[in-house]
Amino acid sequence: MSGYKEIALRESCFRPGSTLCPGCMESIALQNVGRVSDNGAKTIFTIGTSCAEVSSLAFPNVVAWGRGDGSPDDYAKSFAIIHNVFESSPTLAEAARDVSDILADHGAIERPIQVIGASGDGGAFAIGLRSLLHTINRQSRITFLVLVNEIFANTGFQYSPATTPFAETSTTPVGDAQMGNPRIPLDYIHLAIAAGAGMVAQVSPAYGKLFVKTIERALECKSTAIIFVPAPCISGWKFEDGETVHLAELGAQCGVYPAFIWERGKGGSVKDCSEATAERPPVEEFLGLQRRFHHLVQKDPQSGKYVARAGREADVERLKEWTQSNVERLYRLATLQ
Amino acid sequence: MKDSITPAAPMAHHATPSGEIYPDAVNLEPVRAAHRALHETRETITADGNTAAAIATLQMWRCVLFAGFPITPSTKWIETVAAHVAQQVGGKKRVKLMEAEHAVADYLVGSAAACRDLIFPTATSSVGLDHMTETTRSLGASGLGNVLLIDVYRATANFPLCIEGDPSDTLAHRDDGFIQIACRGKQQIYDTVLQSPCLGMNHEIMTPVMPGYYGIKDSHRNARLTVEPDREIHEFQDRWIKPCPFPGLINGDTAFGNCVTSRHFQGFKISQKQRMDRVLDVLPQIGADFERQFGRPGLAFFDSTGFASDGSADLTVLTLGPDFGTFEFIREGYAKKTGLKVAGVAMRLLTPFPREAVRKRLERSKVVMVVNQAHHQGRGHLTLDVADALADVTNPPRIVSVFAGLGGADVSEATWEQMLDHGRGALEGRALPPWAFFHEGKAL
Repeated sequence: MSGYKEIALRESCFRPGSTLCPGCMESIALQNVGRVSDNGAKTIFTIGTSCAEVSSLAFPNVVAWGRGDGSPDDYAKSFAIIHNVFESSPTLAEAARDVSDILADHGAIERPIQVIGASGDGGAFAIGLRSLLHTINRQSRITFLVLVNEIFANTGFQYSPATTPFAETSTTPVGDAQMGNPRIPLDYIHLAIAAGAGMVAQVSPAYGKLFVKTIERALECKSTAIIFVPAPCISGWKFEDGETVHLAELGAQCGVYPAFIWERGKGGSVKDCSEATAERPPVEEFLGLQRRFHHLVQKDPQSGKYVARAGREADVERLKEWTQSNVERLYRLATLQ
Repeated sequence: MKDSITPAAPMAHHATPSGEIYPDAVNLEPVRAAHRALHETRETITADGNTAAAIATLQMWRCVLFAGFPITPSTKWIETVAAHVAQQVGGKKRVKLMEAEHAVADYLVGSAAACRDLIFPTATSSVGLDHMTETTRSLGASGLGNVLLIDVYRATANFPLCIEGDPSDTLAHRDDGFIQIACRGKQQIYDTVLQSPCLGMNHEIMTPVMPGYYGIKDSHRNARLTVEPDREIHEFQDRWIKPCPFPGLINGDTAFGNCVTSRHFQGFKISQKQRMDRVLDVLPQIGADFERQFGRPGLAFFDSTGFASDGSADLTVLTLGPDFGTFEFIREGYAKKTGLKVAGVAMRLLTPFPREAVRKRLERSKVVMVVNQAHHQGRGHLTLDVADALADVTNPPRIVSVFAGLGGADVSEATWEQMLDHGRGALEGRALPPWAFFHEGKAL
């Protein structure tokens, strides 16, 4: 494993020039993944339609990808990226991996190649669940990132199967008959393990060192490594500028998306999130920072803390129950070998 | 991994409009050397159409990865390939079984982009092709001419489901951006599959190819097939297929599939159309070269029969597929009986439609009867193309539109005679409906 500082000094393949919103966690994640992948192997990156794609690969805007500004003499620094339809990224990555492996098997290529794919959660869990699970099931030797902002963000913040219960999205609005998203999110971590992934993690770049180490381990994984990256969306979650990292950390700590690292044959662990409710920050604090939950909580002028709005106590209670079950489930999954 | 951070020796590279290319990153000579020949000499075997197509792809040294998902009536293509690969102890070719047709199409994008000098084939049919649509439309515009998508014609729309040969699938995909070539008979299937990558990977074309043939009628029925030695096939293909001048994912520093604003979209689309237009010049050259080497007709815009030496005919039938053979069988007898000059055209190149060549072939006919074998909301896909081709002819032939053989139904001799009688009505100046529907010797 490389040192954290050493990695921080590498050349990221995610370059300045994207039109991602200021404060977007995806940008932070991709910059870090980009640095970790500057490791001497040529990088092929696949990406499904998503914020990360439309904001970084739009012509004639700046293509915000590439490895540094140095001479292109070093093949390992060359970088290739491909986008196809929403759901295609895992399959594209698998295909690029297979062709690389077959060519290597023939002796037609000699230099190492690493393949990294990325999708948003809409692309991965809704339209692309088939693609994602089957690529995992075939144990393709790729590292795959799902940038989980819990919505189809680039098309206007619609519901995705990862949307937190009661969150307001453009297709799960708040009204007299419905309080935002009525559904329980897809258990994607469990699905990835059950499908046969070699490594499954849920970790945000808010945990800088853990995130970087996790990506590095993923790149060394001999089968599919899948990293779910909680990605607070400043526009879709509607929070204040400067809160991205804090919110990512708070969401993990209070149990909405705890940091979780798991490897097949070794088991895993939940990080920085106690199984006991009382030892975690109140979920209301996480909800209160985002206007997508404005219908559920409000700041108590007396205490300065976020509390359930009058008449919404039962909904907040149900959300807390789901959060607890989420944490307990991850603790159980961590015991799997 | 840390050890590999030590900078490797510099690699030669040069700039292209699509980014930097590293020509030495991939050396395909070991791939060519690892190919194991299926046939050392020319042989005559018995095969159905799917087997003929599978053999052709297996004989290409550039085909090393066969992705597929089974769907009737194309399934035997992937089964044949898989059976062959399973027998090759120590062989390096691989079969990739995907979970759905859409996945196959996505896989073709990723693999063809990874190495643009290898050929990536698959076969599908009907709703399988429909399921691929989201990505076939991307592929058609992608410049990835190393994709070979064999379509075994079968009716689309599952209300009602019909598994027999009907080209409604390929005709519904005219705008996907693929070069579409129709075949009839096992030999034509085999020969067309061998020539298709030469066309698609031509540097001025760079467009994926969709050769197709009728399900059941051609996919499942056996006939004699002459197969050529792998060595000669390689010789032929190597004359036409040169290293791709643009970078792939492995040998390049590049980006595929960017978003563009509408302002820039126009340029991409003009380029796509211009590349497709080049097919009309290059296809006959490949066909002629194939004929020179193998002694059989190569790719052509269409097959034709019965025209007088000055190109004239009273009644000309235009259609595609194996039922044309039944027409050929009765043509002379019908002409003798009626005293008419009866001619026929069986289309081969569907997309791009060879408008000029069709116009020249048909302009001296009095009546052109277009036999459509796929459902269409109007007068028929082929009818519209023929009408367009003849639009600027002075005193153009009268166009008669009929439907027959839908759902893969055999078009019997009696049906052909009924249709020809219908077409004769136009010669006699009778008013005819915009379209008529024939089956089992009757107008329906």
